[in-house]
Amino acid sequence: MNNMEPANKFIIQQENMYSGALSCRGCGWTLLARYVSHIMGENTVYVVPACCFSIIAGPNPMNLMKGTVVHTLFAAAAATATGVRHALDRQGKTDTSVVVLAGDGGTFDIGLQALSGAAARQENIIYICNNNAAYMNTGVQSSTGTPSGAKTTTDPSGKKLPAKNLMGIIEAHNLPYYATASPAFLNDLVSKLEKARDSRGFRFLMIDGPCPPGHKHDPEISIELARLAVETRYFPLLESENGELKISFVPKEKRPVTDYLKPQGRFAHLFNGTYSNGIEEIQKQVDDSWQRLLNIQNIASPLP
Amino acid sequence: MTETRTTEQPPARQGVLPPHHTKRVMKGNSAAAVAAKLCRVSLVTAYPITPQTSIIEEITSMIDHGEFDATSVNMESEHSVFAALKGASLVGERVFTATSGQGLLYAHEVLHAIAHMRLPIVACNVGRPSFPWNIWADQTDSISQRDTGWVQYYCESSQEVLDTIIQSYKLAEKLQLPVMVVLDAFYLSHTSENVFLPDQSLVDAFLPPAENAGNRIDTNHPRAFGGLVGPNTYDDYNRLFWEDMNRVDEGTNVIGREFGEHFGRHYGAVEAVNIHQNTKKILVAMATITTTVREVLDNYPDIGLLKIRLFKPFPKISILEAIKPAGEDCAIITIDRNFTGDSEGALMQEMKRALYGNTGKVFGVYAGLGGRDVSVETIEKIINLDVDSPQTDEVTWIK
Repeated sequence: MNNMEPANKFIIQQENMYSGALSCRGCGWTLLARYVSHIMGENTVYVVPACCFSIIAGPNPMNLMKGTVVHTLFAAAAATATGVRHALDRQGKTDTSVVVLAGDGGTFDIGLQALSGAAARQENIIYICNNNAAYMNTGVQSSTGTPSGAKTTTDPSGKKLPAKNLMGIIEAHNLPYYATASPAFLNDLVSKLEKARDSRGFRFLMIDGPCPPGHKHDPEISIELARLAVETRYFPLLESENGELKISFVPKEKRPVTDYLKPQGRFAHLFNGTYSNGIEEIQKQVDDSWQRLLNIQNIASPLP
Repeated sequence: MTETRTTEQPPARQGVLPPHHTKRVMKGNSAAAVAAKLCRVSLVTAYPITPQTSIIEEITSMIDHGEFDATSVNMESEHSVFAALKGASLVGERVFTATSGQGLLYAHEVLHAIAHMRLPIVACNVGRPSFPWNIWADQTDSISQRDTGWVQYYCESSQEVLDTIIQSYKLAEKLQLPVMVVLDAFYLSHTSENVFLPDQSLVDAFLPPAENAGNRIDTNHPRAFGGLVGPNTYDDYNRLFWEDMNRVDEGTNVIGREFGEHFGRHYGAVEAVNIHQNTKKILVAMATITTTVREVLDNYPDIGLLKIRLFKPFPKISILEAIKPAGEDCAIITIDRNFTGDSEGALMQEMKRALYGNTGKVFGVYAGLGGRDVSVETIEKIINLDVDSPQTDEVTWIK
């Protein structure tokens, strides 16, 4: 089956998540959690640092997930998961998965040291980052995952600097498996979750996270926007298995980045001429990143 | 004639090797490492900092040589060290770490989380100050964690380090509270002295396997841990925490007595030496300074010593009981090897709190900060403080 075809049949036959998630309408987190829990099953310990999902997963003693949830400190997701993993292994529970569910702030910024430590130690855990590109849980402040031009409450004129190349940092850790995925490409997402589940060692997934209140768009276009992010090459889908990086989806036609930016209020000021670097600069960043990926993919490809 | 009432005897004074023990010469740090092994700790996380390093070096060496069945993980910071212990304790392993100074301060956030998740983690802190750089004996690091909800014991000897870690797991798992065992940098961490090393069987008989370590995660019955608690219930958790903290003073004495029945060495929350109706002044001391005070007391029959072994929660009941024999005009002089940015040192603050409503005057001295030697002469200066003169300040810095 082509992973890039629209999913016409229900992928999830049996929910591993309860109803009543405390997310905003159109939030990527809840959709992601449904697919993660579907693939991982109940024999999973989710480690959740401070992020939107701390709230979405439910207040004490409620539990959104059919699985164990360990809430932990903002900077400590990968470290707490390390302790959970080793303790489960001490008890012979090696078949229990340990999965971090973190936001971009807890991954790009305050949790980066713990993430890098766990990745370098090759801890046997899966780290999933729902990247909605700002501190959304605290009310839309900039993170280093916030892209150029995006307006946040701490960059009220739009962020001047581009987002940190986190996947480049991840790549430098020589992981057995890492990938990016999108809620608009569900078969691809499921396939990547399955590969992550079935690998061993430190595995990393970054998922594009639509966020209507943070990105300022109508909830009903969340998935459409996520699709546009991939089709404009703004959020490339990639995958690396044992050091071999591949772009998962090459859009047939090159769409301008404005197709993705324009429907979002966080970029609205770019279209009324008040942002000095402008749309051209963002298009150039996207083109350069894509070319860099192509270069890495070419280097990583085995010789004919 | 000096009247001495003790709840504890240092091994060098006791002299006679108790049954099921081996005589060894050990540094305080070695005693901590061996105690972790004797307690059958199964998981140790670590990040190096002077002067804690030899604790984790000895533990990893014992694990590496197959003498100690545990998993050790070299973390990338103390914040992660304690965060990993939090995760492992929730799964139900008996866990341990050691740190010092900046490392403990860096972990401050996680200390709160561990305590409020009621995880029975035991950690050693080798006390040193913060900044400017100083690696020597000082208790400011651990004392500035006194409000995190961890139980804190301060140790006088290598023997006491070893014995206190064993007792700490018992208390931690009984009350579901984390315990910090503090030893002074170098004066204890790197000083070799006689230790009676108990046999493994003796420790096993006292401290059963880790059935009551964290042990919350059951993958067959999934639950969520640490999720949001609203204003309607948050104080209920704190109240339950408070009730158990109020049991620590007596719990320490009960466990100390039980330990004595097994090992021949008795411990309590505090220790009173030479406190009687004719005692004129009581010196209140913690950790290694206590040993120096003991030596000086022989020449001062009207001076008493109150050793504070349990500092947090401050053992008010045991203290009032210990000083009861002294007369109303007996002065209290606290010795603080910490500076927390206040006029009174932490021990003086706590003593005033404990003695509130009682007669008698409390004086405080700052001594030995940053590792400055608290010698016999220093103790004699403290003893000779003129507590009857109106010219004597309530708080004095003594060199």
